[in-house]
Amino acid sequence: MKKFDYYQPETLKEAFSLMEKFKGRAKYVAGGTDLIVRIKQKVIQPGALISLRGIDALKSIRHNGGLSMGSMTLIRNMERDAVITRDYPALKQAVSVLANPQIRNVATVGGNFCNSAPCADCAPPLLVMEAILMIDGPGGTREVPVDDFFKGPGENCMDSVEILKAIKVPDIRNPKFKTGMAFLKTGRVAQDLAIASAAALVSMDGKICRECRLAAGSVGPIPLRLRRAEKLVKGEEITPELLEQVGKTVEQEVSPITDIRSTEEYRRLVTGVMIRRGIGQAIGMVNGEL
Amino acid sequence: MKKTINFILNGHEVSAEVESHKMLLQVLRDTFGLTGTKEGCGMGECGACTVLVDGMNIDSCIFPAFEVHGKSVTSIEGLLGEGNRLHSIQESFVEKGGVQCGFCTPGMIMSAKALLDETPNPEDGEIRKGISGNLCRCTGYVQIIESVKDAAVRRTE
Repeated sequence: MKKFDYYQPETLKEAFSLMEKFKGRAKYVAGGTDLIVRIKQKVIQPGALISLRGIDALKSIRHNGGLSMGSMTLIRNMERDAVITRDYPALKQAVSVLANPQIRNVATVGGNFCNSAPCADCAPPLLVMEAILMIDGPGGTREVPVDDFFKGPGENCMDSVEILKAIKVPDIRNPKFKTGMAFLKTGRVAQDLAIASAAALVSMDGKICRECRLAAGSVGPIPLRLRRAEKLVKGEEITPELLEQVGKTVEQEVSPITDIRSTEEYRRLVTGVMIRRGIGQAIGMVNGEL
Repeated sequence: MKKTINFILNGHEVSAEVESHKMLLQVLRDTFGLTGTKEGCGMGECGACTVLVDGMNIDSCIFPAFEVHGKSVTSIEGLLGEGNRLHSIQESFVEKGGVQCGFCTPGMIMSAKALLDETPNPEDGEIRKGISGNLCRCTGYVQIIESVKDAAVRRTE
């Protein structure tokens, strides 16, 4: 492994100035469960790593109506958070099947986002919850909707000095309607990266679906929001025939590739099935079946 | 870049000068001579290098050594039963055939310890989930799961 320097700033300001000093040669590192593996595989060879572990401002989970997670919140702590378990079950499901315990004890929600892998497990649930990303830079803070964050495999809207500070999730409980949500993932074995993943959120007014948000991972260059399929469901009664049509639309709407983990054809089919099941599970949650 | 790190290793305060690109695994094996912790894949997939940092099981092959400064690290050498005997989890592995070639065993036992510290009476599914980051190519896992179950019983006795 190529040698690298390792800096451990304690404030954001300190981190920015280190990054400005080493521009182009350094990378921020969160848990490092992906970044350090890529250094060991010689995919990337940064001269310096700037660790964000020592910055207290990035660490806490806060519940204030909604949910605010510091970017350095461990996947482990999200898995064990009582409010996430109760109010955001799709997110709870995603973090409890992310890799394995050793990785969850070290990996962070911010790292999962900033890697910007199409298979990031936290992305589909946070897409359907319409999370807001708080990005900090030397010039100040900006807010980016999760929908605008990802730009391509490994690419996002942040410049090299900026740091993802927190992820805010609005209170999704609707006073008028009952809301349910689900996350599903397909892999060869449990700890694998996803062949495909899917998240669904529905708000029901009796039998009529007033709000429907759908997202999928590992089936395009970025985690995708599936707006064409959503339109079919919104304002409708959800029947088996409608779900059939939604599945077909999802197969068309995603744009997967064939790679080491699966084929394009299988990914289209399985995403259609998972979205249908996800909607079914979300409705089940509304009806108190789960 | 070099730095002196201070941490608690298996209950003792230690200090070592380490290079910035070293992972905890190398420091344990090369600096402290604790070769019970194994390097399998070296990529955070197989769990052979599992140790506890502040009680949590982590893959030491991808954990930067600088990050253990001020923390507490427990490796397989740090497990000890009463009267200088094997730790009860180790005894269970021996008795229930949870060890074959032995390469995954130190990591497997550290994950079992982290699991049992948090969940003293795990169900089968919780045991499977708890050791899902530790690959074994010999046993087929059945005896390992039996070993962890046995260890849970011994601990509560």
